[in-house]
Amino acid sequence: MNRIPLRQAARTLRIQILRHNPRDPDSQPRLQTFEIEEADAMTLFIALTEIRERQDPSLQFDFVCRAGICGSCGMIINGRPGLACRTLTRDLPEQITLAPLPAFELIGDLSVNTGKWMRGMSERLETWVHSQNLESLDIDAMEAAMEPELAEQIYELERCIECGCCVAACGTARMREDFVGAVGLNQVTRFRLDPRDERSDAAFYELVGDESGVFGCMTLLGCEDMCPKDLPLATQIAFLRRRMAATT
Amino acid sequence: MQIIYTDVLVIGGGLAGQRAAIGAKRRGHDVIVLSLVPAKRSHSAAAQGGMQASLGNCLGAAGDNEDIHFADTVRGSDWGADQEVVRMFTHTAPKAIRELAAWGVPWNRVARGEREITVDGQRKTISEPDAAHGLITSRNFGGTQKWRACYVSDGTGHAMLYTMSNQAIAANIPVHERMEALALIHADGRCHGAIVRNLMTGELLAYVARATCIATGGFGRIYRVSTNAIINEGMGAAIALETGVATLGNMEAIQFHPTGIFPAGILVTEGCRGDGGLLLDCNEHRFMPDYEPEKKELASRDVVSRRMEEHIGAGHGVKSRFGEHLWLDIRLLGADHINNNLREVKEICQYFLGIDPVRELIPVRPAQHYSMGGVRTNHRGESPQLQGLFAAGEAACWDMHGFNRLGGNSVAETVVAGMIVGDTIADFCDSTAGALQLSSALVQEFGERERRRLAEIANGKGRESAFELARLMQETMTAQVGIFREGERLEQAVASLQELQLRSRNIGLRSSAPGANPELVTAYRVQRMLKLAQCVAYGALQRTESRGAHYRADHPRRDDLNWMRRTLASWPSADARLPVLTYEPLDIMKMELPPGWRGYGARDYIEHPDTGVRQQQVDAIGGGLDRADRHTRQEALMPFRHLLPEHLRNNNERLGEES
Amino acid sequence: MTGKLDRGPARADILQSLSGLLLVLFIWGHMFFESSILLGKDAMYRVTRMFEGEPLFGKPYPLLVSGVAAIIFVLIAVHAVLALRKFPGSHRQYREFNAHMGAMRHPDTTLWYVQVLTGFALFFLASAHLLVVFLQPDNIGPYASSDRIWSGRFWILYALLLVCVHLHAGIGIYRLAMKWGPIPAAGSKVARRRLKLAMWGIIAFFLCLGTASLATYMYIGRDHAPHAGERYLPAHQQALPGNT
Repeated sequence: MNRIPLRQAARTLRIQILRHNPRDPDSQPRLQTFEIEEADAMTLFIALTEIRERQDPSLQFDFVCRAGICGSCGMIINGRPGLACRTLTRDLPEQITLAPLPAFELIGDLSVNTGKWMRGMSERLETWVHSQNLESLDIDAMEAAMEPELAEQIYELERCIECGCCVAACGTARMREDFVGAVGLNQVTRFRLDPRDERSDAAFYELVGDESGVFGCMTLLGCEDMCPKDLPLATQIAFLRRRMAATT
Repeated sequence: MQIIYTDVLVIGGGLAGQRAAIGAKRRGHDVIVLSLVPAKRSHSAAAQGGMQASLGNCLGAAGDNEDIHFADTVRGSDWGADQEVVRMFTHTAPKAIRELAAWGVPWNRVARGEREITVDGQRKTISEPDAAHGLITSRNFGGTQKWRACYVSDGTGHAMLYTMSNQAIAANIPVHERMEALALIHADGRCHGAIVRNLMTGELLAYVARATCIATGGFGRIYRVSTNAIINEGMGAAIALETGVATLGNMEAIQFHPTGIFPAGILVTEGCRGDGGLLLDCNEHRFMPDYEPEKKELASRDVVSRRMEEHIGAGHGVKSRFGEHLWLDIRLLGADHINNNLREVKEICQYFLGIDPVRELIPVRPAQHYSMGGVRTNHRGESPQLQGLFAAGEAACWDMHGFNRLGGNSVAETVVAGMIVGDTIADFCDSTAGALQLSSALVQEFGERERRRLAEIANGKGRESAFELARLMQETMTAQVGIFREGERLEQAVASLQELQLRSRNIGLRSSAPGANPELVTAYRVQRMLKLAQCVAYGALQRTESRGAHYRADHPRRDDLNWMRRTLASWPSADARLPVLTYEPLDIMKMELPPGWRGYGARDYIEHPDTGVRQQQVDAIGGGLDRADRHTRQEALMPFRHLLPEHLRNNNERLGEES
Repeated sequence: MTGKLDRGPARADILQSLSGLLLVLFIWGHMFFESSILLGKDAMYRVTRMFEGEPLFGKPYPLLVSGVAAIIFVLIAVHAVLALRKFPGSHRQYREFNAHMGAMRHPDTTLWYVQVLTGFALFFLASAHLLVVFLQPDNIGPYASSDRIWSGRFWILYALLLVCVHLHAGIGIYRLAMKWGPIPAAGSKVARRRLKLAMWGIIAFFLCLGTASLATYMYIGRDHAPHAGERYLPAHQQALPGNT
């Protein structure tokens, strides 16, 4: 009856972690290997928690929801960015290398300051509905109607969890620190699609019509391929590029 | 120690905190939000299925209004809720959802014409009216008479939190991320802000504020199996408790969600059942109708969770090497529906279970989910004992949930409470009472106290492991203060927790890493969590009745005669071993809806003599006004609008209803 | 918003893509025309004359070829200058990108690096080729080209050029499609897989075609080596008396 996949012999995982504590003047970036016994249905969240509790209590990492919805635990897993909480160790080889997401400020070990980056991105791209009458809304009245399909399309783009995987997966962002990344470009398309946002294409052009915005994207497609939420980033960026190129 | 001054300090960056912050900011006050994590990562994002608001747009919601939402909520609470607050809430919820709609939440909308739905295991075709086309739609949830849970696929909380955070960014509200409040600064019954630890540098700061609002969510992590995010350790409630002045309300009221995936405890939404999903046992038999013929899978969460455990106890659980569980079957909803409206559920099943819910059954078992209790506040969201301290959302016991919360009422509460409390905070700041008056010596004293506490842990030569103590506490709570409670086991739990608490004074650290030091964080948190856990266990031990989610196998009936009262817990001194419990009566004579049967669950309860008297009054008042509109009748039974900020008092417009 | 948008970045991006597209179309056409040698020396001769404008003006003007070479050179220069902006501009950027590519093992990222390398090489290889064409526009023909390739050892240049240009063009056209293409989000994964397949197909096809024609020129060049420098006479002229 039990359908949870079963593994026969437990493996010993060798988890190699890039350690560095910038608060500690003596700390140098180094790789440290931890060995742990693999358990059934073990995720990297479980593995890292166990390492911290049993082997090295100073190990820093970020988990919040541990269910793949909050975007806290982006890290480089065997070379590629991904969400650690929903990465099952059984899908990985015995040798696992973990490193913090590049392109973000390092807090310590696997913990990076994605929050600061994302807030900066939001402020820069003004990722909110711009509307004249938000301050004087009549909230007793019926809500304005919206086509059901349109609402679903907006949600499709709104599913982004700002985990930073697309930024870490982007060769452009790695080379150019001011690049807004797929996360930023996707959010611009989300608000452009939203009829409640009254901004014109020219206004959006002011935000992303340059080399740090949509025209900086070199279409390496790391974002599309590494997005944990499977967002249609390539088509969205292409769409935005066409709109911005046509804006006068 | 750096001191930061602001008008309003909001502790917690989830939906409630950010909405309160926006409200206060709009009234012209400086606000700073503190958050353990980047605000958009708050646990509000995990709310999947929906937000209750009686819009009444889609066919399944037709005829819905505040009155029905009120009755559902009060019944759901097993009459433990403050009915005035429930009224304030149900009245404001439609406004909250409409505000969010204007702010950008892409609520799913009604599409005119025919569509297929699944009800009671059967496919059925319904036709949505033209007039509702494009308005916000809603889905069915447990314990409700109408389809009232407005949703954004099954990422409702995510969409709401992103919109809210973006509006907070637009309003230029600073969120100080990775900051943890360690203590409230207070003197003479007045709160002045908090001593805060920077979780990146380990540095201590003081935030001095005219008003302080706790919006830190729940404390599910005192349990081993919980749907809660791992940051939900209740530190907001704990620092309020540690003032020794503020009280926590109804801490024993803990909700267990029927469908945590097994064994990880990750939530799959009630929307699964609301949309037609079924619960099956080891024989793939649908067992809920056997227990609950009226509401079946859609009775309230406390009832469904108990029935599930009861069924497993009767030997019908599915055996696995992790223990026993039951099945959630959403296959009958069809691939289209699952891919569009339950996609987070699908992802969770894929990633954590390796199954496809379109074709396979989901292993589920009830898991700790929500804390109805929290920082006790009055209807304005202010602590009755500690002036200048406010609380909103799950962290608060505003008390609209009583002893059981309805699905979809939590995200609704966060926003509604945020709207109301944001205003009352602003009122407070505008008043003379809200003036900032404290000595810097007081700030230094509190800062020094926290510095000493941390140093004691860091330099202490204790031998106890913080991680081990946390694990033991969680085991104790899950094993002995779970869904089925019983006097003797609760006594054991109280004793175990006391022992753990003693041991927690003897914690030793292995790591002295500069910066946040995660081991130190666990150490000081577990000391506080043990106090919360004790409030839960001790409160549960004392409450010798069964009400809502609090079920005592040795006292299986609801006892209105003796227990129509709210538990208030306070922690008298730092070295106390138990909380002091006092009780606040709920006055049946003022209730709009006097106690009765909930419409599901157990039918017998011990009645209070006031119930009959009040029921007669209610009937008489209602009878005398049978020609008046429902608002007038309601007003005659239990006026509440005067409790709301003025701009929230008007009637809500609805399809086919005169406003 | 006022109408004072800086259209520069948009124009630059369009121009880079457009110049690339034109160059790709050119090189593909070029391949078909040069591989006319596979159909025989006469076929190639006719194609040469056609481009020298003979059908239009009655007699060949090799200067036209120089003109085309100049235009292509300008296109390449524009394309290169615009593309150069995207290349790693400092040692730090280069190191970052290399580390990134090595760790990610992500095909499209690696392909971009292939484009950087081939693009860099092309700037020299293609320029060299264009310079020859520009300076000696009359030196194109079944024997003239073959002699240059074999006796002049140009086959080394052309072999390198062939590989570089088709990798660069094939990858470029795929990237162009992903960059601008109005692909509906719903079927985007499938569309991309197909585009990728088409890209490899096109690259393989042109590499085969190019290799075959280069080999043919080399054979002709080897056979003709003793008479290197002598021009080819089409079959109908060879038959005339006095042309020995």
